[in-house]
Amino acid sequence: MDYIHTEALNKHYEMGHTIVKALNGVDLSLPEKSLSVVMGPSGSGKSTLLHLLGGLDRPTSGEIYLDGSKLSQLDENDLAVFRRKTVGFVFQSFNLIQSFNALENVSFPMRFMNVPRKQRIEEALFYLEQVGIADRASHKPSELSGGEQQRVAIARALINDPTLILADEPTGNLDTASGYSIMEILAGLNRNGRTVLVVTHDPRMRQFASHIIYLLDGSIVKESVYEQAVQQVS
Amino acid sequence: MKPRELISLILLNLNRRKGRVLLTAIGVVIGTAAVVVLVSLAQGLKQNASAQFGNIAEMSQISVYPDWEAQMMIEAEGGEYTSPPPITPDVVEEIGAIPLVKAAIPRTGVYAMTILKTGKLEAWANVIGIGTDDLSVLGLEMASGTYELTKGTVIIGEEVLKNFYDPNQRAEQEPLALSDLQDQHMTLELTKWSEDGSGNYIEVKKALKLRVAGIIRASRSEWDYSVYMPLNEVLEINAWVNGRRFDPKKDGYEMVTVVAEDRESVLNIASQINDMGFMAYTPQEFIQGVNSFFVVLQVIFGGVGGIALLVAAIGIANTMTMAILERTREIGLMKAVGATNQDVLSIFLGESASIGFIGGIGGVLLGLLLGELINIFGSVYMAGQNSGMMGGGSATLSVATPPWLILFALAFSTLIGLISGVYPAVQAASLVPVQALKNE
Repeated sequence: MDYIHTEALNKHYEMGHTIVKALNGVDLSLPEKSLSVVMGPSGSGKSTLLHLLGGLDRPTSGEIYLDGSKLSQLDENDLAVFRRKTVGFVFQSFNLIQSFNALENVSFPMRFMNVPRKQRIEEALFYLEQVGIADRASHKPSELSGGEQQRVAIARALINDPTLILADEPTGNLDTASGYSIMEILAGLNRNGRTVLVVTHDPRMRQFASHIIYLLDGSIVKESVYEQAVQQVS
Repeated sequence: MKPRELISLILLNLNRRKGRVLLTAIGVVIGTAAVVVLVSLAQGLKQNASAQFGNIAEMSQISVYPDWEAQMMIEAEGGEYTSPPPITPDVVEEIGAIPLVKAAIPRTGVYAMTILKTGKLEAWANVIGIGTDDLSVLGLEMASGTYELTKGTVIIGEEVLKNFYDPNQRAEQEPLALSDLQDQHMTLELTKWSEDGSGNYIEVKKALKLRVAGIIRASRSEWDYSVYMPLNEVLEINAWVNGRRFDPKKDGYEMVTVVAEDRESVLNIASQINDMGFMAYTPQEFIQGVNSFFVVLQVIFGGVGGIALLVAAIGIANTMTMAILERTREIGLMKAVGATNQDVLSIFLGESASIGFIGGIGGVLLGLLLGELINIFGSVYMAGQNSGMMGGGSATLSVATPPWLILFALAFSTLIGLISGVYPAVQAASLVPVQALKNE
């Protein structure tokens, strides 16, 4: 089975008296170590798909299999452990804790893993170096540029060494140059063997993708596979 | 999460919001200080009252009387009045045989008017015949002389000495000083009234020469205020007063002073004597009553402080609820990076309990400080009040903080914090991560 596999995935919200179908019967299969880009207009269900795959929310119906786990079978606690060990999230608005410096933000997830403080600092510095801002470790988010903040967020996503990176509009709040360098970092993570799924409006992301999924009104309307890119990865 | 990791994160979170944490904790500080000061005040009052309760020797004594009370009850309910069973020598012996009774000493007062005279001075005196020749069994301390009471001698309570005055003293004269009475002879003047045969009562006087064998040191007990003579001599005086001999089987003694081996067995012995149909009274019963009054006072005072703590608890709950609104995204992030519901619950409960604990420490310190201030100002104020008082122990206003109260106050304020945090923490833990992350 593929690394990511969904069957008839539905997510419906009640808004007043109407039911909004954010996802409507999505069947998706993505192999391990792929870099998938989910594109589509606002409200097409891109972010909803990403949240469901990352275990941040539960579907109304349908199944998600991820790395062999059937997410519907996991209880709240197991789902938290799944997010902790398997998934790294990157958000459009970075979601950094303002009163923590870069190093503390990066090492924050390790607090829930009972990792000793010394090891936390070492690993956080390692990942800050990976994203190229080890020199900004002691800076608070307010002292960092948007691009730097997103690098901190990516380092945080990597800290528990997850196999899946889920990025939700990671370049949405960034200027063109910073956005591109973030894309390159994500592509680099994919080259290093991680499965990456990026939700974005940015067409430049397509050049790094092995899979492109187009969503419209909660359904997949087009799926493109670039074998070359996949082969390049493998 | 390991406890150490949890505590470190809680401290980090509290440190981020120092100002608000301190403002919230002030409520707890006031509440805890109120509990500490008020309960300490009740404790201080209780200790003070206990200190006024007279000497320790009296605590192991029981006073036994014929059961007049039961007879009065019978009469009040329309029954016929009969004298209660008298305290005969057999009864005294029976009481003396109760386990852990050290001594059972019969006592009877003099039925005549009694005046003690020495030189120009005289004093009214309550003369009691006591059925032992060795007063040491009562555990009293002597100011001078001996415990031994033999025929022709008296032992005097120290407070009696204060009653001596000169009846012929003129207003401008300085009062005569009482010389040391120890081993001195004095006169006991007895007065009785008897019918002369034609319906008139005439005063009949009699004087006894007595030597002072000892003086009982004042210890704020009943023993300070009386003059003690051998029981047989008093029975003889009473025979003279009544015009007939004392019949132990019929008349009985006025009362018996029972001395227990230890203070712990006093209440038990008293209840055994009550069961025999006599009235046993011990100061311990009174002290128990007073003590339970102070326990009630402590509970009431504690309750008043508790109300202040309750208000503080609402403050904590409010602060924590606000914190959740402000930190919704952070909670979402925590969950996204793998915090379990349990982790989030622990963090928020820990934060609110910590606010309670911090407030508790502040409250205990403030309470101790206020207690000290009350002690200082109280002693100054009461010293002013007491200067005009005659005799007796001086009353003081004092606050006593027992160690258990400090521990209790800390534990209670922490518990209050914890309880206040339950609702907000459960709310935080049950947030759906994706909704929390979307929160602006």
